[in-house]
Amino acid sequence: MDLVAGRAYPIERRPMRHVDGVLLLATIGLVVVGLFAIYSSTHESLIDLDLDPGRFVKRQVAFAALAIGVVLAAASFDYRFLRVYAGLVYASSVILLILVRTPLGTSVKGSQRWFELFGFQLAPSEIGKLAVIVMLAAFLSEIRSELGLPDVFRAAGLAALPAVLVFLQPDLGTSIVFAAILVGMLVVAGARARHLGLLALTAIVLIFAGFQVGLVREYQIARLTGFLDSTNDPDRSDYNRLQAEIAIGAGGMVGLGYLQGTQTNLRFVPEQHTDFIFTVVGEEFGFVGAVAVLGLFGVVIWRAIRIALIAKDPFGTYLAAGVASMLSLQMFVNVGMAIGIMPITGIPLPFVSYGGSSLLVNAAAIGLLQNVHMRRFT
Amino acid sequence: MTEGRTGLRLKVLAFLVVAMFAALTTRLWFLQVLAWEKNRDAATTNAVRLVEVPAQRGRIKDASGEIIVGNRLSWVLTVNHERAGEDIEDILFRLSELLDVSAADLGERLDDPSYYDFSPIPVAVDVPLRVVLYFRERQDDFPGVELVKLPVRRYPLGASAAHVLGYLSEVFADELESPAFAGYEPGDLIGRAGVEAVYEQELSGVDGITKYRRNSLGETLERIGSQEPVRGNDVVLTLDADLQVLAEQSLLAGIQRARTIFDADSGQELKANAGAVVVMNPDTGGIEAMVSYPSFRPQEFTRSLIEFDSDFDLDSRFGAATGFPLLNRAIAGQYPPGSAYKPWVALSALQRTKEQPNEPIVTTTDLYACPPTWITPFDQTNPNAIIYDFDNWTSANLGVMNLSEALAMSCDTIFYPMGYEYWRLYYPPPWGNDDIEGNEDEIARQPLQRDLRGAGFGRETNVDLPGEERGRVPTAEWKRDIHEQYPRSFPEGEWFPGDFILMTIGQGDTLVTPLQLAAAYSGLMHPDQRLCTPHVLGSVVDPDGNVVREHRRSCSRRLPFEPGYVAYVREALTGTVQNGTAQGAFAGFPFDRVWVAGKTGTAEVDPKQDYSWFAAMTEAQGERHVVVVLVEQGGHGSTTAAPIARHIIEGLYGIEFSNPTGVEVTD
Repeated sequence: MDLVAGRAYPIERRPMRHVDGVLLLATIGLVVVGLFAIYSSTHESLIDLDLDPGRFVKRQVAFAALAIGVVLAAASFDYRFLRVYAGLVYASSVILLILVRTPLGTSVKGSQRWFELFGFQLAPSEIGKLAVIVMLAAFLSEIRSELGLPDVFRAAGLAALPAVLVFLQPDLGTSIVFAAILVGMLVVAGARARHLGLLALTAIVLIFAGFQVGLVREYQIARLTGFLDSTNDPDRSDYNRLQAEIAIGAGGMVGLGYLQGTQTNLRFVPEQHTDFIFTVVGEEFGFVGAVAVLGLFGVVIWRAIRIALIAKDPFGTYLAAGVASMLSLQMFVNVGMAIGIMPITGIPLPFVSYGGSSLLVNAAAIGLLQNVHMRRFT
Repeated sequence: MTEGRTGLRLKVLAFLVVAMFAALTTRLWFLQVLAWEKNRDAATTNAVRLVEVPAQRGRIKDASGEIIVGNRLSWVLTVNHERAGEDIEDILFRLSELLDVSAADLGERLDDPSYYDFSPIPVAVDVPLRVVLYFRERQDDFPGVELVKLPVRRYPLGASAAHVLGYLSEVFADELESPAFAGYEPGDLIGRAGVEAVYEQELSGVDGITKYRRNSLGETLERIGSQEPVRGNDVVLTLDADLQVLAEQSLLAGIQRARTIFDADSGQELKANAGAVVVMNPDTGGIEAMVSYPSFRPQEFTRSLIEFDSDFDLDSRFGAATGFPLLNRAIAGQYPPGSAYKPWVALSALQRTKEQPNEPIVTTTDLYACPPTWITPFDQTNPNAIIYDFDNWTSANLGVMNLSEALAMSCDTIFYPMGYEYWRLYYPPPWGNDDIEGNEDEIARQPLQRDLRGAGFGRETNVDLPGEERGRVPTAEWKRDIHEQYPRSFPEGEWFPGDFILMTIGQGDTLVTPLQLAAAYSGLMHPDQRLCTPHVLGSVVDPDGNVVREHRRSCSRRLPFEPGYVAYVREALTGTVQNGTAQGAFAGFPFDRVWVAGKTGTAEVDPKQDYSWFAAMTEAQGERHVVVVLVEQGGHGSTTAAPIARHIIEGLYGIEFSNPTGVEVTD
């Protein structure tokens, strides 16, 4: 029985029978790795503060439990309803992004990114990513003919609105994720390389213009280019990157062992339980452990692309392709910055980093993937 | 849309994802496998703090084992910039009131680039007990400030032997970058002069290290190991502390006495602004006392760390106004020796006469006239040559005498012709004034200079003290070169008979250091007429009292003169004190108990007052010493330097001190 639609199917076509177990297991694997890594990177500081060393990990477990509910919810209804309500979803998320800039939002470290809700922080930019995926999937699936240049720019406009709002928070990293979602989905929708090139050119010109009128700040450029030259400027972000690299490099082939990493335990890597969580894996579980975690991501992304391929309709395909783009880029940028090949932007590692909003939104994305997978025969 | 085309596009997406994984895995392989060791080391260094435990510096003792530089514990106030944090300005302000120094100075001290941010920086040494007690009660008000007891140098003899001992100061930031200072840490003390500098390696010891684990906040977590410091070795000198003090007192008293003497030439009292004494063992080259006046207190360099960094005006304290007290005049002061040079001229002249008996310069037996003035003879080859006249030190005609008496009476007019003979025999025209460059016979034309260099003049003695000067034995070549380089200071580039003539009485361009003179006279006293390299080191003793090494005596060079002539000159110099120029200064001296020979010297240094020299050799009870005394602008050697030398000799042999009274003015 499909709970929402209330329709009845033959048993072999029932969605419940087509849950993607591999995707589910790989996702759970990542969350569990995250729990261990969060404990490792936070217990020492918490002990120092006379707090429960399991404080952060317990909160993350609570989020994980909540995330199960989110997966179930996101998988329960027929995803094709989303195509109908895509506009609504998109509009509400844009409104949230605007509201967070008002006094309703909470300012942390000079950027306004969250709503405080019952002691938890809700980041509308995280929800925005999903909303953009749904909106673009709905928009692109409407186009029956070849994807023309106007379509490409219209799609870009849809992604750009929330991306710019996020960028102004300022949250450079998440706006880059919006761009990746857009490009990934346009590629799958059949945009010509020529058009994509034109789009990139336009983006560069606009960003340059934004820099001229002061929308893009100096430090954001410095952060983006700082990683190219390690001896350039020994400022804080460079220090972060260096300490992260040392932590991962010190892990060697098999790692120093769980809770044995000195970089981790002595808190040399900043924001380690969030942005730099991968350094815990690298230091304590070594190359083997790091590659294993990358492998789990590989499985998740492979399954997402596979779901895009076998989806029943273009909407499902685009949905899955959007999620695949989002997850792979976040993974790449996050791990890349921990090992010094990507600039430092505050992008969490999906499923692994500490943080409720990110985990719940990614869980919703997985739920959507399952949704598409489950209903490929209905 | 067809399945196939979507599939193809998804493959493009998949390909991009695979490329991402490839990039990440490659980089991980590089970081974790290829660069693993480097990163592991970096992580280890990150997590470990090494704290230096300074080694106690070795002591410096005199020949009898008396400690002349020791260590004592002193209250040192340190400030840890990092821990003081935001409150630093307030803390510095309060400290400045407590310590009575300016807050700006303290701040500057903390900004010293040679220190790490996290290390405590000493800002005050010898903090008074009153401040210690105040601080102890209110420690919490001064985060990052600590009072620690650290060993500092102790000088039981005060300012004595300051030039020999040297002093310590903190190693400089730019030095730390040089490989020569590997192993030194910011704040380490290092020997800056004298024995402290020369034997730095022996004295410094090996600093200990304590390893602490630390976190990223720099908080020290636990001790994970330590290496105990090794105390530095003691350095035992040849110096005799009692003699050193006696020599200093004698020189000071002599200088003060000289300042009461009226100098007819300048029309005022003698300035006697500076002086030096060297007492040496002629058999070993061991320096038993070395004095340079004016002096300084080495303690000054330990006491106030702040003053040296900023306000301390080194120039006003140690510059011309105070007579350059840091200069060790005994080894770095260069003076014309005056008549104190004559024994070496006599030896050379005797030696050359022996080698060329047909052209005698001087003999031991012939009698020579000592008129008030000597006139250069008429030169037949150069009829236009100007005739010069050279005066004796006295306008009286001293009659006829042999070479021995000429030395004792310091008769200049007997020595001038010797110089002229050197010119006539070795430097006659057509050589005289032509271009000497490339002339292979140049060496042959410098017999006097070669003999003087053979006695150690014009070259370093290689004493184990830093900053030694080499003096000067002028040659025609030197004169031409220096004229070309500095035509204003040296207006004449030609070598004249007068250059030889003035050299015979230790004037002209001749310069010696007091130590060179002491070493040369030691050569006269040495049983085998050898020149021993002067030294202050006796032995090096480790903290357990074992002798690590003895000073290796080096007496390889021999005076290049017939032993009979050396004995002759040595004996002749007894005449100086018995019936010669220093007769007055040594009136009533018990020559039956102590054999004494010596030579006065009165050096003209235009436009200053005369410099006063006395060099003495003594022997009694198997004990032999050479004493050299110099007083800058001290007038005649007989009136100022000789009484000082006598006083030191009396002390050396336990003779009752005589009271120096007005001494007849001689050379």
